[in-house]
Order: sequence, then structure tokens, then C-alpha cells
Amino acid sequence: MSSPLPANEPAGLDRRAFLKTVSAAGLGLALTRATPAWAQAKADGSVSPNSILNIALVGVGAQGRVLMDAVLKIPTVRIVAVCDIWEYARTYGQRYLKKSGFEVRAYENHHDMLAKEKDIQAVLVATPDFWHAPVTNDCLRAGLHVYCEKMMSNTIEGARSMVKTMRETGKLLQIGHQRRSNPRYLVARDRLIRDAKLLGRITAANAQWNRAASDDLGWPNRAAMSKALLEKYGFEDMHQFRNWRWYKKYGGGPLSDLGAHQIDIFNWFFDTTPTTVIGNGGRDYYPNHEWMDNAMVIYEYHLPEGVARAFYQVQTTTSAGGGYYEQFMGVNGTLKMSENPKYTSIFREAAAPAWDEWIRRHWLAAPTAPASAADTTEASSEKVDARETAELASYRLPVVLNKAIHQPHLENFFNAIRGTAKLNCPADEAFKSEMTVFKAIEAVEKKTLITCTPEDFAV
Amino acid sequence: MSDSTSTQQDCGSTLGFLVLRAWLGIRALVTGIEKFSDVRTVQQPLLDEAGKPDPSGAVVEIQQKFYSFHSYRAIPDALRDKFAQEPLLPSFLTSPFYAALGWALILLGITLLLGLWTRISLAVMGAIYVALTVGLILIKQDAGVAWLAIHIALIAYALQLSKHNRFALTRS
Repeated sequence: MSSPLPANEPAGLDRRAFLKTVSAAGLGLALTRATPAWAQAKADGSVSPNSILNIALVGVGAQGRVLMDAVLKIPTVRIVAVCDIWEYARTYGQRYLKKSGFEVRAYENHHDMLAKEKDIQAVLVATPDFWHAPVTNDCLRAGLHVYCEKMMSNTIEGARSMVKTMRETGKLLQIGHQRRSNPRYLVARDRLIRDAKLLGRITAANAQWNRAASDDLGWPNRAAMSKALLEKYGFEDMHQFRNWRWYKKYGGGPLSDLGAHQIDIFNWFFDTTPTTVIGNGGRDYYPNHEWMDNAMVIYEYHLPEGVARAFYQVQTTTSAGGGYYEQFMGVNGTLKMSENPKYTSIFREAAAPAWDEWIRRHWLAAPTAPASAADTTEASSEKVDARETAELASYRLPVVLNKAIHQPHLENFFNAIRGTAKLNCPADEAFKSEMTVFKAIEAVEKKTLITCTPEDFAV
Repeated sequence: MSDSTSTQQDCGSTLGFLVLRAWLGIRALVTGIEKFSDVRTVQQPLLDEAGKPDPSGAVVEIQQKFYSFHSYRAIPDALRDKFAQEPLLPSFLTSPFYAALGWALILLGITLLLGLWTRISLAVMGAIYVALTVGLILIKQDAGVAWLAIHIALIAYALQLSKHNRFALTRS
């Protein structure tokens, strides 16, 4: 009996299993109502082969592999082509996918891929930042939807061009700020901060990503690219190719690589952009890098209820200070968010209104230690200074993400292609965060106060 | 002392013992049942007040208490570990004690509530608490010892009042 699924469908995924998975993922309605023909089920219940999205991955480096792993967990999407200028990486991608049951075609560059691949609906772009805009714009103009990793570009002009191309072509362009599709972040923002107003007036925020010092990336000698090939794609040498994040013509440095995710959370949670930013930082440790290895910036946000200041620091020379998180501090409580649940907590100020209602709704989980402990005489006696506030009760966020952290954002992108969802981070929205990061970089480099106007964030 | 005063005192003692018997019975029964309880973490969709799933598709982890024979723990693991380190509490003594404790408390709770062999039940209950007291003294849990002493005092008082035992299935 012939199967309606393509021949290179992963082993073990038969039609029955596929339908079950789709239904469990909440796509049952999509199969019967979605407008694109390739997303519709046949009347007899079987599924058209076209219901599977064919996509390509451009850039099979570290981030590309993270996306590849996440896509492999989505049964309604199939990677059919990979693209990388480095044969070593694209061969890896090809073999890795083959082990997962997918025969994919490999290309050196996206031009060749676009010329030959006529049956793909979308492209994932995970190249070094300076290639994001050219690749994305070309793919959009070729009629494909694009999921592009952040930063959108290493230049403002590049990022702006992507927004314009998205608008001109009418294609979807999702930027990889994956926290925006993470249900843990969505519940924290929409339920705890907005609906419950749990924190009261937010007066401050701080976020950080502190990472231990590390050596530059190397490469197997036998896999080194020729000088001519590197220059063809804009790289000076193999070292800069492998360590492009540290060089100004390829990327934006730590504020861009690590900070962009978290600075985006400032904008998203505050639902606005900053008015000023001041910063400091420098290249203090790694002598051979161009970009700063640490930076500290302070943004000022004008919220409807008053001013809030947001401090951000990124350290690439020490992992001290509690890992990576984004923290919003209000008069009634503090929300400390992180993609890693172990860094996530919600702290209630002693004078805040009761949170029992939010525990009942499962928006919060009661503290493991009794909440009242913070109010006891014993707790007060632990103070070493009379002006010290007693230790706050720490609540848990009960929301769990049982998927790879990038998967919900990718699923949102694929669902948007099918017409069953709106993009959680379209390029014009991401551009605001892009500009917010560029302003911070400018503030650090000039060591002065930089003003941000609404026009800066518009395209 | 007039007859009516004596009758009132008897009635008071009877009711007093009844209340004490009921309290000790409930204390033993529920404590025994709780030894078969555990808490498990379950995941379920986050629902709004109308029962609709949250638009984020969030799944929440909820702590759910349940009872099963498999969950039986005579005493908390931390306490058990401490007892295991005590040379005066050899396992050939503690193991059967742990195995019987939950069932014994349930049985004693039922007999006390029904008024079955009340004196014997009270005496056995007292012996169990004395046995537990030995362990707590050895690991220097003075607060726990004092806590058990209150139970022992109540049991002793109940034994003293047991001649006023009424509403019981047996008279012994």
C-alpha cells in the first residue's frame, strides 16, 4: 500500500502517528480550516503531502544546528536543503539530517539554492550577522517566508532594508527573539504583569548575561577554507570566520549577541522603547578582539505610570552574578525571568496585596518555604542594619516548557505561514529592539548619554 | 455530696472521656492514613476562569496529593536516615516497627473511635509514642520529645478516665 507521505519521511512517523501529532499540537482545526491548500486535509481524513512545509536552512553553524534540532521535533516541517559556505559545516548538517531520516541537498550559497530549490516555502537564516540582510532580502524576494536569527543585521541600514523588503514582498519575516513565543514569558508578561498587576508600578529593571572566559574557536586544519573562498564571502581569514562575533564588520559584539535577547525583553515587557541610554564598557581582556568584552548600560523608559530605568550588563570574562536573567522590579514585587527556570522567581514585597488569587489560578505557585516566614520576628532578627528590608518570600512560576527553547518560536512562524497564527516577532517589531541595542553600543563607544527619539525606531 | 451533683460529675467525666477518646482516635487514624500519602507533580494546560486554555498555550505544573499503598512511609526519610545512624536502634527492631506503624495507628484509631477494647488500645497507643520518644531522644529532637509528651499525658489521662467509657462497643 502506498503512503501519501513523501518517501523520505522520518522512519516511524506513519500517517496515523502524523495525524495524532498534528491533532495534539492543536492543528486539527488548521487542517480543516486553514486557507492554504497545502495545509488542508482531504475529506476522507488523509493528509495531503503538501501539508508538510518544506524549508531550507542557511547557515549550519552553532545556532543553525540549534534551529535544526528544534525543527526536527516538529513533524509537519521538513528540512530539504542546507546551505553553508563551509563544506565542513554543510556536510555535517547533511549527515546529521540523514541520520534523522532526511535526505537533504547541500549548497555553498543561497543563490545556488534559490536557483535550484523550487519546492520550499520558507528559509531559516542562521548565518553570521552581516549576511542576514542580503540572504533574507534575496529569499523574501524569491517569494519565501523567512525566519532570521537576531541580530537582524550588524548595521542599522541592513536591518531597515529587511523590514522594507518584508513589506514590499508581503512575505513573513520572523526574527529569532525566541522568548516572545515562550509560554513562560507570555504568562509572566500577560498574566502576572498586565492582568494581575502583580508588581505594582515598575520602577526599575535589570538584566544580565555573565559568561565565563573562553578560548577562541578553532577548526580542523584539514577543513580550513581557502583564502579565495573566504574572501569571496567577505571574511578576512579562517580565524575571523570562526570568531566572527568578535569583529565589527561581521557582528555586533556581546551587547548584540547576548544582550539583544534581553534588551528586547525590556522593550517587550515595557511595551515601549527607551528615551535615553548611557553606557560604559570596553575591550579589557581579549587583546585580539575588536568588540568590547564587557559592557554596562542604563536605559530610561517613560512608562504611562512614570519613569523606569533598566540596567543591562554583559560579561564575557566571568560567569559570576547568577547567570542570565531579566528582572522587573515594582513597588509590590519583583519578577526575575530567565529561559532557565532555575533562575526564575517572583518576590512579593511584605506590604503587597495578597497573591492568593493568582496562586488559585495557577499563575503563581506558592513558595516552598512559608510566605509568612519573611514577616516573622526571626527573619527580622537576621537583619544587620535597621534600614534593611526583610527577605522577601519567593514564589515560583508554575509554567513549564517541555520543548526546546526555540521550538515555540519556530512553531509560531510555521503556523503563521499556514495562516493560523500571527507572528510573535515580525521584523518591524524586532527592529525597535535592534535599534535599542545599536543605541547602547553607541553609548558604550562614546561613553556619553544617547537620546532616542520615536523616529529612530520607525521604518 | 448530693446525688444530683454526683450525676452531673459522672456525666461531665463521661463526656470528657468521649471527647478525649474521639480526639485520640482521630489523631491516630488520620496520622496512620497520612503515612500512605504523597505529592506528585502533574502538568495541565493553564485555563482561564471560563475553562478555556490560555492563548499562550502554557502548561503548568501542579502539586497533587494522592494516597496509595505504594506511597507508604512510616516516618519521613530524613528522620529514618537519622535513626539508621543510631547504634541503639538496630534495624531488626526498627524495620518491623516501621512496617507496622501506619497500620497500627489506623487500627488504633478505629478501635478508639468505635470503643473497641478501649483501655488496651490506649495502652498500645501510649507504647507506640514511648517507642517514638526513644528515637527522638537519641537524635536530640527535644521539641519532638515534648510534642510526644503531650500525647502521652493525654493518653495517661484518658486511661484514668476510662472508667467513664460509654458509647463503646466493648466495655473493656
